[in-house]
Amino acid sequence: MEEFREILGPLLRNSVCMSLLVGLVCPLVGVYLLLRRLVFMGVALPQISSCGIAFAFALEAWGLFPHSEGSENTLAFAGSSAFTLVAILAFSFIERRGRGLMEGAIGTIYVLAGAWSILLLVKNPFGEHGLLDRLKGQIIAIPDSDLEWTAASFAAVVLLLFVFRKEFLLVSFDREMAITLRKNVLLWDSVLFLLIGLTISMAVLSVGPLVTFGFLLIPPLIAHLFARNMRQFALAASGVGGFSALAGFYMAYKWDLPVGPVDVALLGFVYGLVFVGKKTLGALRPKARDAGSPTGVEA
Amino acid sequence: MTEESLLTLNHLAVGYGRQVVLPDVNLSLPRGSFTGLLGANGSGKSTLIKTILGIIPPLNGRVEFASVDGRPHVLGYTPQRDSLDPIFLLSSFEVVLMGTCGRVPPGHRINHAEQDWAHQCLRETGADQLSRKLFSQLSGGQKQRVLIARALATKPDFLLLDEPTSGIDAAARKAVMELLRRIHEQQHLTILMASHDLPIVRSYVQRVIWLHLGHVLQGPVSELLTPEKIEEILNLEMN
Repeated sequence: MEEFREILGPLLRNSVCMSLLVGLVCPLVGVYLLLRRLVFMGVALPQISSCGIAFAFALEAWGLFPHSEGSENTLAFAGSSAFTLVAILAFSFIERRGRGLMEGAIGTIYVLAGAWSILLLVKNPFGEHGLLDRLKGQIIAIPDSDLEWTAASFAAVVLLLFVFRKEFLLVSFDREMAITLRKNVLLWDSVLFLLIGLTISMAVLSVGPLVTFGFLLIPPLIAHLFARNMRQFALAASGVGGFSALAGFYMAYKWDLPVGPVDVALLGFVYGLVFVGKKTLGALRPKARDAGSPTGVEA
Repeated sequence: MTEESLLTLNHLAVGYGRQVVLPDVNLSLPRGSFTGLLGANGSGKSTLIKTILGIIPPLNGRVEFASVDGRPHVLGYTPQRDSLDPIFLLSSFEVVLMGTCGRVPPGHRINHAEQDWAHQCLRETGADQLSRKLFSQLSGGQKQRVLIARALATKPDFLLLDEPTSGIDAAARKAVMELLRRIHEQQHLTILMASHDLPIVRSYVQRVIWLHLGHVLQGPVSELLTPEKIEEILNLEMN
């Protein structure tokens, strides 16, 4: 309990809040990546976002932007957002041209983004330290302004996801039906991808690509194992993400470990636990059906 | 376009990208008719239906709909049920509710009247007891009933179905076709149904469009589906 009081103290409060925000919101957009079978995109986009940050810092190192204290966050946000949004628009264009091409393109871009992040970083005297921290998922010093900015952006994302859930679900579930209903499928796809891109950019800026990817995909995968409808699916994914973010922060603080990797390891543990639990229940269920249980699933 | 026609295709070329599947389709569908779209696998049935629906742009020519009481026509569409991903945790009712989305502005909730209408469509297709079940867990015949209910929920002037009886057992096939016959008779809907099931088409539809080798044959069942004519077409296909 003492540790809880310490991490909620003035020194770490912002970091806990940022971790919680990422844990709650990333799974909500991750649900759509999972539903649209774009898990690879969830892997690649945080990496591309990191590459954007490295590129922005490189511009500063090359003298294209003057170096000044406090300009790093603005540069990082600009680089992250620009790279993520361009990648997302490119992916949404490629998505309509066939699955094989999509997977190949995402895989190639993922590898290239990883390589370029390192190449841009290795010769950069300004960006190296800060970017390395971000890549490791070190959530330590979060200024008030960053937290407020992220909270406002995430609030807008959640609001839009809620208000237009009917449209996003329709174009994701049955694109052809949406066209016959005269829905502007291109517009709704673009809005959804922009929300995904904005969330990933903000999350990578705060917690790095590893943690962002972890929270984008593992909580929805866990929730899908036991959710019974779409509302439960989204809420459970967000709940699992929020819980893991808080518990992960506490464990990292208690055992003096980096927060990001602990969060992801914890999510992996929860996923394994729920998966085994579901399989065990599944194995027991036929016996219950034989015994005339009303919960037996209709063949 | 003749006065009775709801749909007219004028020198329509359909296909994907540079691949032309049907180079020159000219036909019209009378209002209130029940038409079967026959053809072997790969003959272009689904491509033609998707072009009529506006899902695939025509490579050439025009798709013309007659106006219905001075308002834009409404299309009801039943896709091949396997095209819908089972990863979505949607109940049958929620799937049918999607049919009402054309009348609900973006960002608005689907009101009680539309929800009642979705329930009515489920009842109409005999699927009301499935409303709370996950769509992905239904059998083939049950899914087809739900998808027909969804198409009806759009309040369509023209219902297009892509292989509604493929991959389901004989009893379910008969039930689906009896349902379509009843809907056609009661609501006087114009229906176009793609199928490669000759006996089903012969038993239930009034007119036939037969696609073979890029050509389009059309006429009433009594003329186009005689044993002699079928043998002639099938021999042509085999040769």
